[in-house]
Amino acid sequence: MRRFLVLVLLPQEPSVIERRARQRHLVPDHWGIELHYRGVQAAPATNLCPADFALAEIALFEAGFTAQEEGFDAVLVDSMSDTAVDALRSVLDIPVVGPGRAAFLTALMLGERVSVLAMWSHWAVLYTRTLGAMGLLSRLASVRSIEEAPDTRHLLAGKEAEIFPKLLEAGRLAIEEDGADVICLGSTTLYQAHAYLAERLPVPVINPAPLSYLVADIMFALSLRPSRRAHPKPLLDQQAMVRAMMTAAARQEGTR
Amino acid sequence: MPKILVLVPFPMAADQLALRQAQSKAVPLEPGTTLHYRPVKAAPRTYVSQQDYVLADLSLFEAGLSAQADGFDAVIIDTVSDSGVNALRSMLDIPVVGPGRAMFLNALMLGDRFSILAMWKHWSGLYKKTLTELGLMERLASVRSIDIVPDNRNLLGGKEEDVFPKLLEAGKRAIEEDGADVLLLGSTTMHQAHGYLAERLPVPVINPGPLSYKMAETAIALRLSHSRAGYPKPMVEKSAMVRAMMDGAAAAERGRPVEKLS
Repeated sequence: MRRFLVLVLLPQEPSVIERRARQRHLVPDHWGIELHYRGVQAAPATNLCPADFALAEIALFEAGFTAQEEGFDAVLVDSMSDTAVDALRSVLDIPVVGPGRAAFLTALMLGERVSVLAMWSHWAVLYTRTLGAMGLLSRLASVRSIEEAPDTRHLLAGKEAEIFPKLLEAGRLAIEEDGADVICLGSTTLYQAHAYLAERLPVPVINPAPLSYLVADIMFALSLRPSRRAHPKPLLDQQAMVRAMMTAAARQEGTR
Repeated sequence: MPKILVLVPFPMAADQLALRQAQSKAVPLEPGTTLHYRPVKAAPRTYVSQQDYVLADLSLFEAGLSAQADGFDAVIIDTVSDSGVNALRSMLDIPVVGPGRAMFLNALMLGDRFSILAMWKHWSGLYKKTLTELGLMERLASVRSIDIVPDNRNLLGGKEEDVFPKLLEAGKRAIEEDGADVLLLGSTTMHQAHGYLAERLPVPVINPGPLSYKMAETAIALRLSHSRAGYPKPMVEKSAMVRAMMDGAAAAERGRPVEKLS
């Protein structure tokens, strides 16, 4: 049994984290992966602008940097933003996988142009940032947003009847008008809509978090690890300082 | 009377800060421009890994958060990593200038391909980060490193005779072998070598710190600041949390000597 740690960019709160953890059922049991979900000590309210990014990076980094000594075999980030993936790779020798890169690169194994379905257009920067860094912006057919404020704690429960058809319509437009041949859910928080969309849309629909678990497992199985040249180790381990920062953040935010 | 805040990326003593301040003598500033240098509360020991970049972003972000409220007209980061620049831009309306972007984009106003002169190869990731963001990696002719451990507190003092000729040799090779038509100093901490190199090399040599001062003055004079569409404000601002984090970091680091690097 492999043990993977999944980091969630929300303060640790059992019912909230459990809602994310239900994504574990999207991976077949016989695959043999045990998924542990963990929140952060404190978090920005959203992850949409550079001020948020700076906080999100360090919060997720701190939540994951002991993963290897805790005996985990891989680390995942439960966010299409791929926040903290590079920083964690610089200190860990186990696979660290972000759903953003995994989703886009897998999309290009299934088709030529990808559209992303988003709850609101504020998310667009997360996709253009990752695709831009990979030099793949030209493969983005569109970001189709349904302009609904997302609820990262409660997800889509109770709103299925309203949200699912809107996402379906956005997916159809992405295919017919924007030329997408693969659709990618724009957030791991949309996982509940995946089955509904995949049944009704005529192209592959990628559910980023479960995909990322299996990508990590492939890396684990094939003994492939993130390149140390691209992610050099720091000359000095400063985890005590990072821990002190997040402890102070939690105290300030009253999340502890 | 432009008042500009220069954020220094490491905590340091007054004599070390003076070595940073000396950059202001390398360029004529507009009458009335004043530069105020402010070190961060705590910092990564060096900037060589993604762990360090995360810490660097947060430490410079915190050091500059109050700049607008403090009455400054612009903020500059005294490191070509441009750490904290994006985060500060999403909070502040005044121009925030990073010497990294400034030097790369100015190089392309002077030539087509540039090389970077670095103290050690560990700095390569910093340049790649900004050039990738800009989509300009193919304009980089090379990073030429002289493989000498940099001293980000005391800079090049006392090592001029050793370091300057090595940098000159690296610059010559960048031009002749790598095809560079502009050279960039790979760190604001190398500013003391600029005059020596610029006199002896046949292509423009950019000194990123002083360049960033002129860029900030220009932005103020032309009333240009960063795009709010490109750097949106956070929906919920967390300045108190950021401050608490850096106070926590400073407390954890208090009394700890600066570790020696080899």
